Order: sequence, then structure tokens, then C-alpha cells
Amino acid sequence: MQWNEQDTQAGDAEAIAALREAERIFAKESARGATAYRVEAGKPAERLEQFDPQAVQIIMVPRVVEG
Amino acid sequence: METLAFMVIGMIVDLSLILCVNFIVKNFLKWSGAKQRAIELLRAVLSVDQHHQLVQLGYVDISGPQDQERIYHVPRGPGLVRVIEKESLTMSLCLKPLEKVPDADIVVMHKLMLEADEETYLQTANRFAPLCAG
Repeated sequence: MQWNEQDTQAGDAEAIAALREAERIFAKESARGATAYRVEAGKPAERLEQFDPQAVQIIMVPRVVEG
Repeated sequence: METLAFMVIGMIVDLSLILCVNFIVKNFLKWSGAKQRAIELLRAVLSVDQHHQLVQLGYVDISGPQDQERIYHVPRGPGLVRVIEKESLTMSLCLKPLEKVPDADIVVMHKLMLEADEETYLQTANRFAPLCAG
């Protein structure tokens, strides 16, 4: 999912819908045990406990187990 | 009557085959798309040097955030993550997602978890003593 932060603040319906969808996926996957990480070029990944609409990129890793 | 029965059975078999092939093709296309997206994500997440190393050597080095002398060798394909400390193999780790995901997504998973949550990674992974040091 992609959205433009400025467009959401300006009330753009498409951007707001994309943001809502991203939030929904975040909540759904978190409930299934996935972990979210904030990823930004040149910086180490950071664990996200809550959805951050301002994050450059959020990657969700499904639940992991020992192999 | 017998001919009609054969025709009906033939139609059912044909329909089943069509549905089966359709299912296989759809899943193949879905999996191919997932693999392609995973490759693109991996390229975006790794630095140029890391991606070059992965292609050339078959693994990528991830430095431990808590101990810079600890290096994790994350393989490109399935396999154990090797832990190197002071140039010696100290242990191997196995951690996998519950869901089936493309190999490139597994590399991303190791990188993100090691960088952002090394402690949980080490607590969750199965540890194996090195078979040979070096």
C-alpha cells in the first residue's frame, strides 16, 4: 500500500482510503502474530509497536518459530 | 443410454481437469508474482554492497547491533544463519516464518529482526553448535 502523507492531510479521498487500508492490514497481521518494522534507507530497521502513518516504509514479518 | 452415461462422465472428467489446471496456473502465477515482489523488496532493503555480496557469495553479512564484532551470515536460500565472532564460527541459528514465503522474503526477515530485535531473534532461534570452527 502506498499513500502520500500530504495528500491525506489535504483530505484526498484516495490517499485516505489507502491509509485506512494500510492500517487495517497492520492491525490484522499484528493480531495474527506478525511484527512490523520501520525501514528507511541508510538507517537500521526499527520495530514498530503501533501503526505510524508517517513511516517511509513499513514491512510486516509473519510470525516466526525456531527451525 | 450407455452412450449418454459415458458422455456425462466424460464431461465431468473434462470439467474437473479444466478446474484443476486453472487452480494450478492461478497458484503458479500468484507465487511467481510474490517471488518477484520479494526480490524487489530485498533489493530495496539491502545496501548496494550487501546485495552485491549476496549475489557473489550466496550470503549477506548483518552486524549484530549489540556487539559489532558479531557477524551473522544470512544465506540467500534455505539454510542456517551462521554466527561469526572474531572470525570464528561460534554457532548456527535456525528461525523460520510460520507461513510459506519466497526465499528473498526470508533474507529480509533475518535482516530486519537482527537489526531491530536481536534479543528476540536469539531467544526464538534454534541454536546448533558449529560442526567445524573457522
